[in-house]
Amino acid sequence: MSSAISTEQISKHFGQNRALDQIDFDVAFGEVHALVGENGAGKSTLIRVLSGVHQPDSGRILVDGKEHRFSGPHDAIAAGIVTIPQELRLVPALSIAENIALGDLPTRSFGPLKLLDRRRLREQANAVLAQLDFLPDVDCRVSRLSFAERQLVAIGRALHHECRIFILDEPTAALEQHEIERLFSVLMRMRFQGTAIIYISHELDEVVEIADRCTVLRDGRVVPTARRGSFAVADLISAMTGRVQDPGDSAPREPGPILLHTQRGDDQPVSVRAGEMIGLAGLLGSGTEAIMRSLFGASRSDPVIAVAGEPRSLRGPAEAIAAGIGFTPGERALGLVLNQSMRDNILLASLDRVRRYFLVDRTAGDRIVAELMDLLDIRPRRPELPARALSGGNQQKVILAKWLARRVRVLLLEEPTQGIDVGAKAQIHALIRDFVARGGGALIASTDLAELARLCDAVLAVRQGAITARLEGARGLDEATLRTAIGA
Amino acid sequence: MAGQIPLISLVLLCVLTALLTPRFLSPLNLTNILVQSSIMAVIAMGMTFVIVGGGFDLSVGSTAALAGCIASMVMLQAGIAAGVVAGIVAGGAVGLLNGLVIAFLDVNPFITTLGTMVLVRGVVFLITGGAPVSGEFGLPNAFVAFGSERFLGIHLLVWVPALLLAILSFVMYATPYGRRVYATGGGREAAYLSGIPVRRVIASTYVWCGALAGVAGVMLAARLQSGQPTAGEFYELTAIAAVVLGGASLHGGEGTLYKSVIGVFIMIVLGNALNLLNVDSYWQRVAVGIVIVAAAAAERLRSRN
Repeated sequence: MSSAISTEQISKHFGQNRALDQIDFDVAFGEVHALVGENGAGKSTLIRVLSGVHQPDSGRILVDGKEHRFSGPHDAIAAGIVTIPQELRLVPALSIAENIALGDLPTRSFGPLKLLDRRRLREQANAVLAQLDFLPDVDCRVSRLSFAERQLVAIGRALHHECRIFILDEPTAALEQHEIERLFSVLMRMRFQGTAIIYISHELDEVVEIADRCTVLRDGRVVPTARRGSFAVADLISAMTGRVQDPGDSAPREPGPILLHTQRGDDQPVSVRAGEMIGLAGLLGSGTEAIMRSLFGASRSDPVIAVAGEPRSLRGPAEAIAAGIGFTPGERALGLVLNQSMRDNILLASLDRVRRYFLVDRTAGDRIVAELMDLLDIRPRRPELPARALSGGNQQKVILAKWLARRVRVLLLEEPTQGIDVGAKAQIHALIRDFVARGGGALIASTDLAELARLCDAVLAVRQGAITARLEGARGLDEATLRTAIGA
Repeated sequence: MAGQIPLISLVLLCVLTALLTPRFLSPLNLTNILVQSSIMAVIAMGMTFVIVGGGFDLSVGSTAALAGCIASMVMLQAGIAAGVVAGIVAGGAVGLLNGLVIAFLDVNPFITTLGTMVLVRGVVFLITGGAPVSGEFGLPNAFVAFGSERFLGIHLLVWVPALLLAILSFVMYATPYGRRVYATGGGREAAYLSGIPVRRVIASTYVWCGALAGVAGVMLAARLQSGQPTAGEFYELTAIAAVVLGGASLHGGEGTLYKSVIGVFIMIVLGNALNLLNVDSYWQRVAVGIVIVAAAAAERLRSRN
């Protein structure tokens, strides 16, 4: 088989963050090549490079054996590469047929005028969608379609543009089982017709089912695994997560007093003691995010939470913080004011604590910032730098520093190491352990079950917004056991 | 260095104008520039609060007119002090209305203040009947004198923004409140999740802006020796342009008071230079428009890097 597209030694940096490190990757015509990896492993960056959104710092991209330089997405599309992103880029107010032909609408001449040729527009759309066994009324507006139907329209558009290299990013994330089956049969047919398909997914079972080959990315590099046709889910997991297993602290601790306790309806209670790390495990969309936000008072309902034994109703984050709770959101842009300095970010929640009369006490503030930057090893040690200039790991440390400056007792951590490289990950885990060892409590929501198994004393399972089970003694269990135990 | 672009542009503009026409450096002309800049500087400082907080205010011109007319009316009845206070409070009240609607009802600031701009102007015409407010014998002498007298050789009108700049700079850079304004404008959700009462902070920036427009309106009344219902038209545009020229980001979280004042000087000096050089007034508009668009484009290019 000849290579449809291949990359040679592609590297890409964002600021200090190395997103891709000398990636060699190729897909043949008539092949489905899966790309898997944890969050932040570099999958999205690689696709964005292949689809012309990002330009690589070094390395070459070859399409059909010829080197191409994409200055933007249009160049990639012109080279026959079409990407179906997670959020489909369709125009909801236009019809199915118009969306499919968007970019080169068929016209007919009417004297000097060029008019839209509606009949040909419909015929084209019907022809393309028939290949997908999808026969809707093509005059219907896209805004009326379900997600799965819109996805088919997006695929139809790709077919219409005669794409030969097809990239799908998490195509099944929002699909039901029968819709997934239909999608797979469409992909199989495209493969048979010679299209090269790059398939990105977190669902390893699907990858094993559909892919001819699989490449695992970890921290921006290709992990040498997954020989053609001989990979199984277990291999992929170990290749994705196979990092140095840190020993953790196995010494049993005396659990301290309850720092935070709340119960909603028939749910398992959420209860965090001093010196304890509790996990909140759920798949994407299971509702862990809503639970975390509500514990921080940042949702519509005002939860009644017992903080240090005293029940309170939290109306807003300000009250949660006053009660000694800190929250690091999974999306780091929500934890940081990106255009403000590290210094301002670290002091953001403590402004009224570093006050002299009615002014900010610069000396005291600078001292706190310097101490925390040393303690957390935040680099570069230049507090005046804007937060956006930092790598993901350092940004996360600045957020943690913000809460340490405020001296909170309970930390709510959402995906604390998502998209962070291995070294910084270990440092952040150590910081959380240290915080807990000093009498704090942590509630950690993560889709990375291996992370929870490594850190947490107990894990709460979340399904459809409800806490369905509590698993004690979670520490040290392997991911698969934990997955079964919480029924995920 | 990049942060000093507004100052460098101002200096270059002044040098260039001085070379082209000697009249630019005459004491009378320089005094004129200072006095013209003083009123706009007060408005631009208020606008800086709003823009740093991530908002926008089109109503400042109308608010200044309202404040000038109310100050004049009250002054004629109850004395200068009451009049000045009434004018500033009226401005603050318009700001509070803007702030409450924008921050607590989540209405777009552009639309909200476009509405209050028209609404307030209507109110001004209603209460004045469209005629200037100066009473039978004019506004009190001491108040009118404020519009023309000097202290240490400098117009009293110029002292006002100078003092305000000193005080407000402290508020913005050295108080927890000021840091909260920057954080809210730079990342509203992040600020909210750090315990900052973002709605109150946003509303407060409009109150500052309204009250400062009120101060400017009172200054304008002193200068014009009357409350003019048509005063302050297009002030909002000049003020916003000046703040952007001063390097503030319309996305919020960035901007500096003194640089906004430099931006005001750039706008006023530019107009003054074009006048001295006898440039046709229609072309003057074209030139000012180009400068504003260019400054906004430059801001985008900078923030993209």
